[in-house]
Amino acid sequence: MSEQTTFDAIVVGSGMTGGWAAKELTEKGLKTLVLEAGRLIVPEQDYVEHVPPWEMKFRGLGDRRHLMEDQPIQSTCYACDEWSAKFFVSDKENPYTTGAGKPFRWIRGRQVGGRSITWGRQSYRWSDLDFEANLRDGIAIDWPIRYADIAPWYDYVEEFIGISGEALGLPQLPDSKFLPPMELNCIEKSVREELGKHFGSERVLTIGRVAILTQDHRGRAACHYCGPCERGCITRSYFNSVNATLPAAEKTGRMTLRPYSVVHSVSFDAKTRRATGVRVIDARTRSAIEFRAKVVFLCASTLESVRILLHSSTSEFPNGLANSSGELGHNLMDHVNSAGADATIPGYEDRIQVGRRPNGIYVPRFRNVKRKYPDFLRGYGFQGRGYREGWERGIEQTGFGANFKRSLRGPGPWRFSLFGFGECLPDHRNLVELDQTMVDAWGIPVLKIHCAWGDNELAIRKDMAISAAEMLAAAGGRDIEPFADEAPPGFSIHEMGTARMGRDPKTSVLNSFNQSHDLRNLFITDGGAMVSSSCVNPSLTYMALTARACDYAVEQMRKGEI
Amino acid sequence: MKRRELLRLLATGAAFQLAPRQLMVVLGEARALLASQSSARTLNVHQEATVKAMAEMILPRTETPGAADVGASEFIDLILTEWSEEAERRRFLDGLTDVDAQAKTLFGRDFVECSSLQQSEILTALGEEMAVDAERLRDQPLAAGESPSQSFYSMLRQFTLTAYYTSEAGATRELHFEIIPGQFQGCTTDHAEKEEQKQ
Repeated sequence: MSEQTTFDAIVVGSGMTGGWAAKELTEKGLKTLVLEAGRLIVPEQDYVEHVPPWEMKFRGLGDRRHLMEDQPIQSTCYACDEWSAKFFVSDKENPYTTGAGKPFRWIRGRQVGGRSITWGRQSYRWSDLDFEANLRDGIAIDWPIRYADIAPWYDYVEEFIGISGEALGLPQLPDSKFLPPMELNCIEKSVREELGKHFGSERVLTIGRVAILTQDHRGRAACHYCGPCERGCITRSYFNSVNATLPAAEKTGRMTLRPYSVVHSVSFDAKTRRATGVRVIDARTRSAIEFRAKVVFLCASTLESVRILLHSSTSEFPNGLANSSGELGHNLMDHVNSAGADATIPGYEDRIQVGRRPNGIYVPRFRNVKRKYPDFLRGYGFQGRGYREGWERGIEQTGFGANFKRSLRGPGPWRFSLFGFGECLPDHRNLVELDQTMVDAWGIPVLKIHCAWGDNELAIRKDMAISAAEMLAAAGGRDIEPFADEAPPGFSIHEMGTARMGRDPKTSVLNSFNQSHDLRNLFITDGGAMVSSSCVNPSLTYMALTARACDYAVEQMRKGEI
Repeated sequence: MKRRELLRLLATGAAFQLAPRQLMVVLGEARALLASQSSARTLNVHQEATVKAMAEMILPRTETPGAADVGASEFIDLILTEWSEEAERRRFLDGLTDVDAQAKTLFGRDFVECSSLQQSEILTALGEEMAVDAERLRDQPLAAGESPSQSFYSMLRQFTLTAYYTSEAGATRELHFEIIPGQFQGCTTDHAEKEEQKQ
């Protein structure tokens, strides 16, 4: 029997947003083909969160020579360790280039589940402080939506995902529909109190809002606190597409999931001005195959979706399909980070933590919230955690012998880390283009990325180090070490903005429902759609926008508009 | 049984024609023989003995296993053979040579031949040197892109502690590591410490 090639819908990508598009479109009755460039993931075989270090060849130090050879870029991500390196791409098979003097770190996952397997799970709603920001500051273009447009969709996806956290009622960080919060540890509680004394309600410390279950939820089990979520989770306690959305799509009987399917381009019919489907290269056989559908959703990640469209040029769209605006590939953003402070906090030495909480603390944005801060536009939030030092502290100590060994048996002093994630302004000059001088392992031209921090991001980075140190001092910290490193963009793995939404087809790629202005049956619902970057982690917003776009697309199909 | 005879029996498969009880004896002897031979690939027998002795001095067997019990020197050999860069491996091996040179100067014999008091003196001196290096690094920050070259003793400590605390015995018996804690408590009393104080 030959393979079915015609569907109602095609979803490109099976990660954070592809999983949602698959679930929503199949549940609404569409026969949907989900294309994934990488291999299938079978949790029982591929998840490794309970493999102890003594079963790992290098005991967690990683297969360094292999990493240097095959994953020199990917292995700069903390999660690409000896256990989880297999959830990150081979840099040799998936090269990219960068503009002169503009390094960019592109961290990628090609397998069913995409980067949702290794994501940081922090989940925050955006607010009108974010959606109105460009308009208020006269930067780039205005968002075509406001908080009221997306709020019901946040409710909708959160109800399915399960987000644990604490409601605070802050205008700049709207509360989600929360499961019970994870517990703060002693030192985090103490820092929270001290911050309250010094900064009032302006700087609040709360437990991270995180897509990890604190109680059983919709057939998935509560977290058992083993720690390393990025290695998978056999109890499906944290959200990723393999654990939650893809099984829901599978249950409808209307999903065809096709791994090893590298999308080459989107095919276009000039007569109808519609996408007719996609061309695929089978990653194993290298043979070409074309699939057709009434509607195409690109959910391949901010940069991969754009790469596909740039590689789908036609005579009508010589600069990339669906790019009549000329904005496709431009306005690339990532959150500025690598700045904050560490300190030792005295006290509570007789107290310990039991279990490994896979979540830290969060300090919501406090700059440019109630009053204008003179040094920069927008703001930043802090992630962080309080923890007790482990046996590793013994490496730098000089002791040895039975007493030394005994001294390392218990935990060391309480330490506290704060590290910022700052908003990045959209800038037309931060862009990606096809590099025709290089192809990937499947013969597709690679991206050339031109992206650099601007003055506003650098001013934010500086302030992150200063205010983190100030807060740790207020909390009674000792040996406070502020830091502000020169990390290039990409480090936050929050790249977004290269196919932005907008009201005007002349200045934006997508309309307010993630639908191409140019091709009405083409949607992009990954991070590409973002018009500004906020300072909070973006995945929850991508998911809410995806569910909203699916609802709109199916309604338009019913009306015969698509 | 002679080594040569044992190896012949195993190599030709003749061992498996022996009666089951005899086969068990032969295999047992084979295991013992193999254990007595170094399987190290970078370290020679003398170097491995030195590493083993130093690692055991850092984390000795107490009421729980020590570094030698968990095979720290084998792990260090793996690291040197399959993980380290060439310059690091050379620095480590040079460091080992220096340890013996120091032992000979001070006590007239190799490190492994020294008394434990003499060995302690050498480890103490290495620790002091490491602390001075660390101090110097704090005072003179490195230029961008430059990374500090880790000293022999710092490498030895890193790999010894890693080998021990990530071993099953080190992680579960010494540190009470549980793969699946099943709960999170953010602020509780240290039961392990309390029990220790009672003992």
